[in-house]
Amino acid sequence: MSTAALNPPTETGAPRQSRSRGPRGRGLWWRYVVAVAACVFAVFPILYVLSASLNPSGTMTGSNSLFTTISGSNYVKLFANPERPYGRWYLNTTLLAVGVSLLTVLFSALAAYAFSRLRFRGRRGGLLSLMLIQMFPQMLAVTAIFLLLSNLGDVVPVLGIGSLLALAAVYLGGALGANTYLMYGFFNSVPRALDEAAQIDGAGHARTFFTIILPLVIPTLAVVGLLSFINTFNEYVVASVVVGNDPATQTLALGLYQYVSEQTNSNWPVFAAGTVLACLPPLVVFFWLQKYLVSGLTSGSVK
Amino acid sequence: MTKEDFTPPAQREERVHRAQVRFSGGAWSWVIKIVLLGGFDALMVLGLLAAVAKASWVIVAVIAVGTIAVNLIYLPPNRELPGKYLAPGVAFMLIFSVSVMLYTVYVGFTNYGDGHNGSKDDAVLAIQQNNQARVPDSATYKAAVATKNGGGDELWLIVVDPKTGQARAGNNETPLQDASGVTTSSLGAITGADGYTVLDFAAVSTRSSEVSKLAVPLSDKGADGFLHTTTGSQAYVYRSTMAYDEKADTFTDTTGTVYRDSGQGSFVSADGKTIQPGWKVNVGFSNFTAAITNSQVRGPFLKVLVWTFVFAIGSVVSCFALGLILALIFNDSRLRGRRWFRLVMILPYAFPATMMTMVWSGLFNQDFGFINQVLLGGLQVPWLNDGSWAKVAILVVNLWLGFPYQFLVATGALQSLPDDVNEAAEVDGASGWSAFWYIKFPLLMVSLAPLLISTFAFNFNNFNLIYMLTRGGPRFTDTSLDIGSTDILISMVYKVAFGDQGRQYGLGSAFAILIFIIVGVISWIGFRQTRALEDIN
Amino acid sequence: MTDIARRSLLLSGLGLGALGVLSACGGSDSSSSSTPAASGSAGAGTITIWVDSDRAPVLKSAAAQFKKDVGVTVNLVVKDNSKIVPDFITQVPTGKGPDAIICAHDRLGTLVKNGVVAPLELGDTTDQYQDIAIKAFTYQDKIYGVPYSTENLALIRNTKLAPSAVTSWDAMVAAGRKSGAKYPVLVGMDSVQAASPYNLYPFQASFNAPVFKIGADGAYDGTTLGMGDAAGASFATWLAAQQKAKTLNINISNDIAKTSFVSGQSPFFISGPWNLADIKAKKIPYAIEAIPAAGPQAATPFVGVQGFAMSSKSKNTVATQKFIVEYIGNADIQYKLFEAGQRPPANKEAFEKAKSDKDVAAYGAVGAKGVPMPAVPAMDSVWTDWGNAEAAILSGKSADPAATWQKMVTGLQAKIK
Repeated sequence: MSTAALNPPTETGAPRQSRSRGPRGRGLWWRYVVAVAACVFAVFPILYVLSASLNPSGTMTGSNSLFTTISGSNYVKLFANPERPYGRWYLNTTLLAVGVSLLTVLFSALAAYAFSRLRFRGRRGGLLSLMLIQMFPQMLAVTAIFLLLSNLGDVVPVLGIGSLLALAAVYLGGALGANTYLMYGFFNSVPRALDEAAQIDGAGHARTFFTIILPLVIPTLAVVGLLSFINTFNEYVVASVVVGNDPATQTLALGLYQYVSEQTNSNWPVFAAGTVLACLPPLVVFFWLQKYLVSGLTSGSVK
Repeated sequence: MTKEDFTPPAQREERVHRAQVRFSGGAWSWVIKIVLLGGFDALMVLGLLAAVAKASWVIVAVIAVGTIAVNLIYLPPNRELPGKYLAPGVAFMLIFSVSVMLYTVYVGFTNYGDGHNGSKDDAVLAIQQNNQARVPDSATYKAAVATKNGGGDELWLIVVDPKTGQARAGNNETPLQDASGVTTSSLGAITGADGYTVLDFAAVSTRSSEVSKLAVPLSDKGADGFLHTTTGSQAYVYRSTMAYDEKADTFTDTTGTVYRDSGQGSFVSADGKTIQPGWKVNVGFSNFTAAITNSQVRGPFLKVLVWTFVFAIGSVVSCFALGLILALIFNDSRLRGRRWFRLVMILPYAFPATMMTMVWSGLFNQDFGFINQVLLGGLQVPWLNDGSWAKVAILVVNLWLGFPYQFLVATGALQSLPDDVNEAAEVDGASGWSAFWYIKFPLLMVSLAPLLISTFAFNFNNFNLIYMLTRGGPRFTDTSLDIGSTDILISMVYKVAFGDQGRQYGLGSAFAILIFIIVGVISWIGFRQTRALEDIN
Repeated sequence: MTDIARRSLLLSGLGLGALGVLSACGGSDSSSSSTPAASGSAGAGTITIWVDSDRAPVLKSAAAQFKKDVGVTVNLVVKDNSKIVPDFITQVPTGKGPDAIICAHDRLGTLVKNGVVAPLELGDTTDQYQDIAIKAFTYQDKIYGVPYSTENLALIRNTKLAPSAVTSWDAMVAAGRKSGAKYPVLVGMDSVQAASPYNLYPFQASFNAPVFKIGADGAYDGTTLGMGDAAGASFATWLAAQQKAKTLNINISNDIAKTSFVSGQSPFFISGPWNLADIKAKKIPYAIEAIPAAGPQAATPFVGVQGFAMSSKSKNTVATQKFIVEYIGNADIQYKLFEAGQRPPANKEAFEKAKSDKDVAAYGAVGAKGVPMPAVPAMDSVWTDWGNAEAAILSGKSADPAATWQKMVTGLQAKIK
């Protein structure tokens, strides 16, 4: 194996520049065009939501003239209703998503390491089962989870209906699966020689995992963490069964939906304001994770 | 290759570090391990005790087996390595994910659904409740719930006959008899009677279940009806229109028709009349035969199946292509503002899909939507009103909803490509495009192909999008069923299982299992292919 | 250990920490509110009622009064409105459901079919409620709920664009065209696939084509459709004519209809009271009137009634009935509920009081002539097929509207038997 594999692969751009592809900037204009086009595509439906959130009597789909009225009253209403404690939901959801995503990353990484590095009976089958289980149509998930947790709650109240911890546990039930597969692919790209060397040095398998392998796969940890964070943040169906009975334990997706769940009395503008604010934590997390996502390996080499 | 290859310059530091590992690592890791395991075991014992106290034997068994398994896995050093790494995730998966699957399979063998919602006892109770009718135009009795002095704890009902003003008392066994010495409060409520102690509301409330069973016969003749109180202060004359015979397990109505337990979860008369509600029973494979032989489904099945594949594959390909292209573009460090561009790329992913689907349905409105009005300059494309256009609309919306995921995953995957890939391409003299297509792309596919299969499976069952955007419409005109051009398998079976006959969880589960088998087999074949891919590389 | 490894361990620690905080929240909350048995030490017990968050504040004061009067704690659980009925059906059989719920009367059929609600005895208070409210909560001769509010459609007229009232559809369209506004009349559609049977029903009723035939007992006969035959055909033909004349447009969603009306683009809007706030906010001068008939009969809208129903497995039926019959049925509380939700109260006394609000009086007057939305379980399949047939006609895809309509009726009749 060459040393190149051990040198952290950096963003492909850096070496490319040195390789005299031509003057800096050539062939770049079309990239900007695509980038801007993609941004327009990504953003313009969201403008409707933003416009509705700023208009006290707005609708989501009623009109193409956006931003005719600008007012913060929907945002004020959002925080002014003690029956719908938006701030509390924000806190609940953020804590939940942070906890679940970190543990999801840990569980998936552990499992992916086993599948990538250890050879055992049922390895292939196990990997396949993780994927297949996630494909089962979840038609009855709601009922099954309610029954499960209400029985569990009789014995361990903290894992019963109404507990955010129970909700976290249910989400962790889906921690493996596609995430594990994603990490598995990455782990395979880390040269085995690294762990062997570490073991020659006398590091145990746990130490090898935490100190050698994990730092090298930071980008994938960031990806899985972000995916899990956003999914947890926006999940509705399971949350509504587990913590739907008390405004103080609800999550954002759940609480906000109350503004529109009654067909004839729905309050889309406030709902829109709520979702606009609710998209901030995922974006902040993403912005923060970006440096790991694209340059994790430069800082991740063994010291 | 030797370890020096990656040993950083700080050799001394490294050696010290290595020594630390050798001398302290073992002991410390043991201490940590024992403390963690001990804590875990202590928690489990607590849980076990609680479960035993509640006599939840299933939970007792699960905790016991789980605890033993965890100790067997983690206690012996350097053994059961795969177990050590897999146990945490798998434990949660078994408890919270696999159990849901098993429950679905179980329900597939029952008639659970509207009309068969609970246990037989519940059904009998509900039938009795529903068939106690207040005698029309009968009077309201002032009433109180009491205990008889010296008569133990048994509840009696004291009433004042509205016609004669005579106080009477009785209980379930004793028909009304005269009582005396009734006292009333200023509001007219009965507060006492000779030989009885009247219960206050708090006492009535705590003994509510007994009160609700209190039915005092007006006379020896059952046909006269009985007095029953709903709130403890008033009583009304009721007559039962459906009598339950506990021994024979039959209901008999006022005309003498006998309803028997049909064995299918309901009481049925000889001429086939059924009493609502029924209850949940096992029905064997009948849901599966019903699912397979369902004539409603058979007609449009082929059309729906084809579209399901077009939709699922089309979504995977379009989302992945866009996501990958954008990932490549934003991976180019010459591009300014990449961090912000990337942030915008994941915006669609950060908003709730249900809400955004609704916004899109507005954008696609034929007469007023942004797309026809502004983008297409007033063209009248019937986006959601026409079968083919609706399919296009669905693919566009799903592209919008789905490309950020692929973008993220591809951005991450690009980092796993070793740098020498670029160099190799350079050496071969490959141009940018062919370097990507022949060298990078196959490498990317090794780690991404399984995810694409999982995306395929997700879209195969992407009920929410279809249901929110078009409800499967526009509807086929050649079937009386509510099935249309954009229905995929899961939305079609949803309509069959949860449509006309109310929610039939049993049938729905059977469908779910059958669909799972279809998706599972396809995915399994797909995974075999990716394995081949991996081997090539 | 490397920086990153340390960081990753730290992160896992953070994760556990966050879960720990969650468990603290969850734990304290569940002990304070979701385990009533623990807190109900007052002696007279606790009952649990699921309500939506709009109604919760008013009911809180009623619950406090109840606690003061009889010692029973009413535990009000605020739930997402759309989840109340489905969760109730699932949870009652487990013994963990609430004692009572708030629900719309049209779900009664399904609730009874599942055996999860118990009949109530309103005693002599029945005539304190509006007839239509009691009729709505009566299912198979028994009353299953205490009604508290009604709601229905009416015609909202922009009095600036159309100064005088209209009495027929044709007159309305003529006045609408004369006004020079963009749309002569606005009827919102739920979606292009399902039209809006609810919004269009008044017109259908004016052709004497009710959904179900009314039985001898004055209740719907859930097994016989009433919208077939010649009456249904003439309604279908009328729909097709409106599509051609562009007076009804399948692409005008409820949102677009509302936005257009509040921006003065039409003098007439078929709408419920839920849009009034926005109409007032835009200072549109308006009047609320009966919906003009399109056919020979009166155009009667559906009336939806909200009320409280009791679980068949309630462990404290005495307190539950007392609370929902005597407290929620109470005129004062119904008036307060009206103030919170602006729907005409079901209690007559409260309704009279609420009539000082002219909008409520007007909507109530229109609703009094309406018919309750059918509550039979078969209704779910009726809505879909019915809407699809209307959508086919209104999108101009049906060559023979009467045949499309009759096909829908025949298909439905076979389904509901």
